[in-house]
Amino acid sequence: MMKSKAYAVLKDNLWTNNPIFIQILGICSTLAVTNNLSNTMIMTLGVTFATALSSLTLSAMKGLIPRKVRMIIQVVVMSFYVILLDILLRAYLPDVSRQLGPYVGLIITNCILMGRAEAFAQANKPLLSFWDGLTSGLGYMSVLMAIAVVRELLGFGTLFGIRVMPEAFVTWTIMIMAPSAFFLVAMVMWWAKTLQARRVAAAATTVASKEAKK
Amino acid sequence: MKKDSMLYVVIFTFAVCAAFVVVLAVANEVTKPMVEANKLFATRSAVLGALGIPYANAADASARYDAQVKELAGAVGKAWTSSIDGVEYIAVEAAGPGLWGTIRVILAASPDGERVRGIRVVAQNETPGLGGRIEEPWFLGQFEGERAPGGRVAVKAGAEASGKADADKENGRVDGISGATRTSQSFEAIVNAGLAALKAGGVR
Repeated sequence: MMKSKAYAVLKDNLWTNNPIFIQILGICSTLAVTNNLSNTMIMTLGVTFATALSSLTLSAMKGLIPRKVRMIIQVVVMSFYVILLDILLRAYLPDVSRQLGPYVGLIITNCILMGRAEAFAQANKPLLSFWDGLTSGLGYMSVLMAIAVVRELLGFGTLFGIRVMPEAFVTWTIMIMAPSAFFLVAMVMWWAKTLQARRVAAAATTVASKEAKK
Repeated sequence: MKKDSMLYVVIFTFAVCAAFVVVLAVANEVTKPMVEANKLFATRSAVLGALGIPYANAADASARYDAQVKELAGAVGKAWTSSIDGVEYIAVEAAGPGLWGTIRVILAASPDGERVRGIRVVAQNETPGLGGRIEEPWFLGQFEGERAPGGRVAVKAGAEASGKADADKENGRVDGISGATRTSQSFEAIVNAGLAALKAGGVR
């Protein structure tokens, strides 16, 4: 029972209810950081870390939180993990911290964290909420990493800063700028939604044909 | 106590905030020396880089900084002095507006401001891949040993995105970055202001 529920959460967060291409959350950070793979990786790991732990914490203390101040407490817990992350980055990875600049602090305002706290952690057990936060982060990460691969490859000719394209390759300046992320996110949404719509249609026809046989 | 009573809400909110803030304060205190050390290393490595003193790692950088670089007292803003192979150089911190935010550099040159020794970018928020390329070695390398007639270096349009650079060290000009004209212009202004400050502040 627990196992199947965990699987359902995983599938939901990675595919059928993906934070980026279905819920359309966290788009600002998608535009901002995806022109560089290593920054994208640190940023999405940060979001995953903060979402998972804040969901866990909020779910564990959900019985104690008065409804009136529910959102205030949620923001306090999220800010706590994000600031902790920022402190750790500044101490142990100063170069990354310098490159990401204000974006780490802005994880607090990432709608995915609030969304998971409101939609899931409030009504579920701590461990499952942790899993939900973790997989939501992974759903976010998978899409952002895919976009970052395209943007860094075409915009800089590199992957993780290592030159991949031949010297003669002329870099696409547009891929470095924020608008390209708009196009790419839209293309991912188009692809995912079309595929999902087709599956739903296919499932509907099988059900219809079964019913007809009866 | 009822969960929705005013007293409970106030006490609960206060307790939760206090608990989390205490943990953050402790984390901040514990990592403070490391953050300070990182900041110090960032500045020192930029000064060493601008002065053209090579170093192997953070410890080596610190040792070389202590041995070869002197902080210049009485200068306007931060300044450093170092004599390399018997020739004296002065480094200053220069800053100015870029396209998106403040660009801060460490600039080293001869005391009369007529020949640049080197430049390192300390902080910038320019467009990645365009203005952000002011940090790249091909661009900064152009300034190393560049003559600055009358204390001025011109950053000219003309370089291609492939990263070609002006190799002539005597003409007092370097190639700007294609697609980042505004950042190139800002950089020129910052470097020239830095050279002027260096000339004025370096007089003892």
